[in-house]
Amino acid sequence: MKTITNYIRSLFLFELLKGLSITGGYFFSRKFTLQYPEQKAPVSPRFRGLHALRRYPNGEERCIACKLCEAVCPALAITIEAEPREDGSRRTTRYDIDLFKCIYCGFCEESCPVDSIVETRIYEYHFENRGEQIMTKQMLLDIGDKYEEQLADDRAAQANVR
Amino acid sequence: MSMRSQPMVRVEKCEHKEALFTPEVRAEIDAWVAKYPERWQQSACMPALTIVQDMNGGHLTRELMDQVADYLDMPPISVYEVATFYSMYEHRPVGRHKICLCTNVSCMINGSDGILEHLSNRLGIGFGQVTSDGKFSLKEVECLAACGGAPMMQIGHNYYENLTPELVDQILDGLE
Amino acid sequence: MTEDQTFTIEVDGQQLEARPGQMLIEVTDAAGINVPRFCYHKHLSVAANCRMCLVEVEKAPKPLPACATPVMNGMKVFTRSPLAREAQKGTMEFLLINHPLDCPICDQGGECELQDVAMGYGGDISRFTERKRVVRDEDIGSLIATDMTRCIHCTRCVRFGGEIAGLRELGATGRGEHLRIGLYIEHAVASELSGNVIDLCPVGALTAKPSAYQARSWELSEYDGVAPHDGLGSNLHLHVRRNRLMRVVPRENEDVNQTWISDRDRFSYQGLYSDDRLQRPMLRENGKLREADWQEALMAAARALKDASGARIGALISPSATLEEHYLATRLLRALGSNNIDHRLRQGDFRGDAADPALPWLGQRIADFSNNQATLLVGSWLRKDQPMLNHRVRQSQIDGALVMAINPVAYDFNYELDVDIVCIPSAMTKELAGVAAALGVDTLGIEAVPDPAHHGIADSLKSAAQGTVLLGNAATMHPDFSLLRALASGIAAAAGVTLGFVGSGSNDCGAWMAGAVPHRDTGGKAIAPPGLDAAAMLEQPLDLYLTFGVEPEMDVAEPARMAAALGAAQLLAIGSHTSPWLLEHADILLPAAAYAETSGTFVNIEGNAQSFRGVAAPPGETRPGWKILRVLGNLVGLDGFDYAESTEVRDEVLAACADLAPDNRIGDLQDRKPKSAPGEWERVGGVPIYAVDALSRRAHALQLTPDAWGGELRLNTAAAAALDLGEAAAVRVAQGEGSAEFEVRIDDAVPDGCIWLPTAVPGSEALGAAFGPVAVEKA
Repeated sequence: MKTITNYIRSLFLFELLKGLSITGGYFFSRKFTLQYPEQKAPVSPRFRGLHALRRYPNGEERCIACKLCEAVCPALAITIEAEPREDGSRRTTRYDIDLFKCIYCGFCEESCPVDSIVETRIYEYHFENRGEQIMTKQMLLDIGDKYEEQLADDRAAQANVR
Repeated sequence: MSMRSQPMVRVEKCEHKEALFTPEVRAEIDAWVAKYPERWQQSACMPALTIVQDMNGGHLTRELMDQVADYLDMPPISVYEVATFYSMYEHRPVGRHKICLCTNVSCMINGSDGILEHLSNRLGIGFGQVTSDGKFSLKEVECLAACGGAPMMQIGHNYYENLTPELVDQILDGLE
Repeated sequence: MTEDQTFTIEVDGQQLEARPGQMLIEVTDAAGINVPRFCYHKHLSVAANCRMCLVEVEKAPKPLPACATPVMNGMKVFTRSPLAREAQKGTMEFLLINHPLDCPICDQGGECELQDVAMGYGGDISRFTERKRVVRDEDIGSLIATDMTRCIHCTRCVRFGGEIAGLRELGATGRGEHLRIGLYIEHAVASELSGNVIDLCPVGALTAKPSAYQARSWELSEYDGVAPHDGLGSNLHLHVRRNRLMRVVPRENEDVNQTWISDRDRFSYQGLYSDDRLQRPMLRENGKLREADWQEALMAAARALKDASGARIGALISPSATLEEHYLATRLLRALGSNNIDHRLRQGDFRGDAADPALPWLGQRIADFSNNQATLLVGSWLRKDQPMLNHRVRQSQIDGALVMAINPVAYDFNYELDVDIVCIPSAMTKELAGVAAALGVDTLGIEAVPDPAHHGIADSLKSAAQGTVLLGNAATMHPDFSLLRALASGIAAAAGVTLGFVGSGSNDCGAWMAGAVPHRDTGGKAIAPPGLDAAAMLEQPLDLYLTFGVEPEMDVAEPARMAAALGAAQLLAIGSHTSPWLLEHADILLPAAAYAETSGTFVNIEGNAQSFRGVAAPPGETRPGWKILRVLGNLVGLDGFDYAESTEVRDEVLAACADLAPDNRIGDLQDRKPKSAPGEWERVGGVPIYAVDALSRRAHALQLTPDAWGGELRLNTAAAAALDLGEAAAVRVAQGEGSAEFEVRIDDAVPDGCIWLPTAVPGSEALGAAFGPVAVEKA
């Protein structure tokens, strides 16, 4: 009996039709493929992308060289050097992040007492030469300046969970 | 720390103590020094500061504190410590009459706020200020142990108790 | 009950031995039971004002402070009972009320006693909602950064000033909420031990200014080190980050430095990172110095050594070089056929060499100085030259000992001298002979009538059960050092006290052991005939000089003449720093690692060998000095020079010195004629505290302190009047063939007819010896 059923099934290409029906179903259903890079997926305010150093609205850099991010970084990607600035305040003279080492865990952001080092929504970047993966203090500050509005909004959006 | 500065601390010995203060002031301080054992002249620091403050018209200056330190063989910082700790030493000029008004609990309950208001209105000054003619200054003090006569104030070496605005006027009018 | 009887107390159920008179916290500390504290420090008096160490004592109605509660027989103590914990928690909450929450920018963050104790005893949430107080900061100098808002008023720094530094500078003024720790009148603190308040401060109110904001405690690796500036060899912890020495703190050693170090030992590391470090070997070619690689430079050096005839080579080795370096240099020189080697670069008189002891030392253990009953300082500014030894002398004086001095300047001490004889330098022998005469010993033919002061000194020394006659650095530099030494030796012997030498560098004992002197070989074996000493190398110029760690214009007795002699000959200089003089005159310059960068051994002035490792990376192509000397030995073809480790060298020297015990017995003096004669003006020399070696001269922060010596010259009011000079006027000093201009500082500590002008300060390069006649005129 079983043999006969299998024979009839294979004669009428039953499995093929069954498979094609799934294909057909997807063919006509709503698509969720994105046409990257023309189209982009929505990003959460808590996304952990490229780093930035923020400033206060009066233009003063937030970073106070406490070195907690350097200490907490599990990949040892952050290198900081600091000394008193001319006005006597504690400031970094060097703030490097090695993006090859960074694992984007977000601990630096968590540990920062002044919300200075943050991870932005930027995830599209590349390097063409060795050495370019080192983000210097000035580069990080520039990113912060450029995206400050969004960074501030993102921090505000998650204020209740931080 | 040992209560006595020496021998633990080296003190710059003043060679010319006779050049400090006036003979009368020195005699007064010496009388106090004599009350303490030998080499314990620093025990007379408080009376010495009081004597010198009175001589200077009611307040101390850094130079005077340094001279007290020299006279009693003390490190200057030890004298500064004493002079800033006790509230009866003044570090800024005061009026000829320093009105010390108690605002502590008993006096407050018995109306020291009203007395203060009256004094401020009459003299045009608040706590810590001196009248423009240099006659009066006003100072807020804690309990002077005369709660039985609250509200009270001290002017010079005298206590005035059971104050009313009228009594205050009378007292102030009676002062030079 | 007597002091050495013990009894038992119970702490947290544990039975502990205690002696009467001990405080509870001493017993718990010894047993390793942790009681939190801020104001208590074992070397300071008990203040009991922080209230953090409250513990419960059975039968006491309230918790008691462990630091101020004497132990009693059968006492039962609970350090973690609910009552004790509640008291500790309450104290912590009060302490945190006014403490700012600026840990992220505080240099103490990570090594803060308040942070640590707050973790253990503090609450999670502050209930304090009022405003915190803010205190204005004072600038207290170039060494200590202040942030007095963080202060919790433990008063450790105030007590340190009074009890250890001997100067009351910091004080607690005001009261209650307005209490503040400060100077009241802003000035730079003047103590040479001031840096210790940085370690004492349990919070971040007092931190180190030179290393401010540069490193976090968790980034630093801690290594053991030994201080390179004076003969005590204070024990250090070196804090290193990324191969760079970031700061220096004391390592506790009760026998040497207790828990303190001097500012010189603490901050001199700045000199390691000065711009003029020698980084590459350099060779002179056609009159011009050029950089070379090691191979080339070492070959050139070896060729120079081989080409010169043995006896025409002289070596000047810094007294602060390591034992290994002294030994290898000695072996190298002797193998080349020369005995012309010396480390006594600043000594003013070598006539006593034949009478030299085999290994001059302090005469006593350092710790024993605290128990001396009489100390006579001869030509010594002990306070600035050997600050930690001075601390011991001060302690002895507080306990009732007499401290006396015969000095060419009324040096400023942090205690009062019981007898203070100040005389012109040429009269020092006479004054000391006066003391000798008072004791009835040989005055070496010097006519001396003892006056009451001399008798006073003699009687004090004689009646002391334990005491010392200490020859200081000024005595060593004196042109009649051999006479002073012979007189002091006679006095010490007659009075039954010890004779002591303080040494001019960090390794004088090591240099003697290694044989870095012309008349004694390794292990103290006498050499006959002896080679040339440091002064004779000047008198009889040689063809080739080897210097090690020496700046000839600064570190020698007669800078101008030495520089001329070295400049005229071929000069092979091994050292850590360059100087304009070296760049102009040296023919071969080899960069050697400085302290903290090389392994080695310092034998301190009590004869104790202390080894250390290299912990910081030397700059450029700098190599450890002992390796340079070893390779030079290999290249000139010496046998047995194949050491792989510095420890092999050390073991070899120490084995050779196994029979050499410290010894201060002076032999008979042949030449007894005083060399110094009174002139119209006499120079009083010495070396200022922050000019003793290349490192401290380049430590920027130290050079900004009141103790640093700029281009100044000091003389007293009468002398200034005689020369018609006012404060800050320009004065010209001529000595020998050189002359230089200085700025006048009027200082009545200087005796009549003298100018106080140290060596190793700017301007002194052109002049001669530290002591001697000079011509002074208004410029």
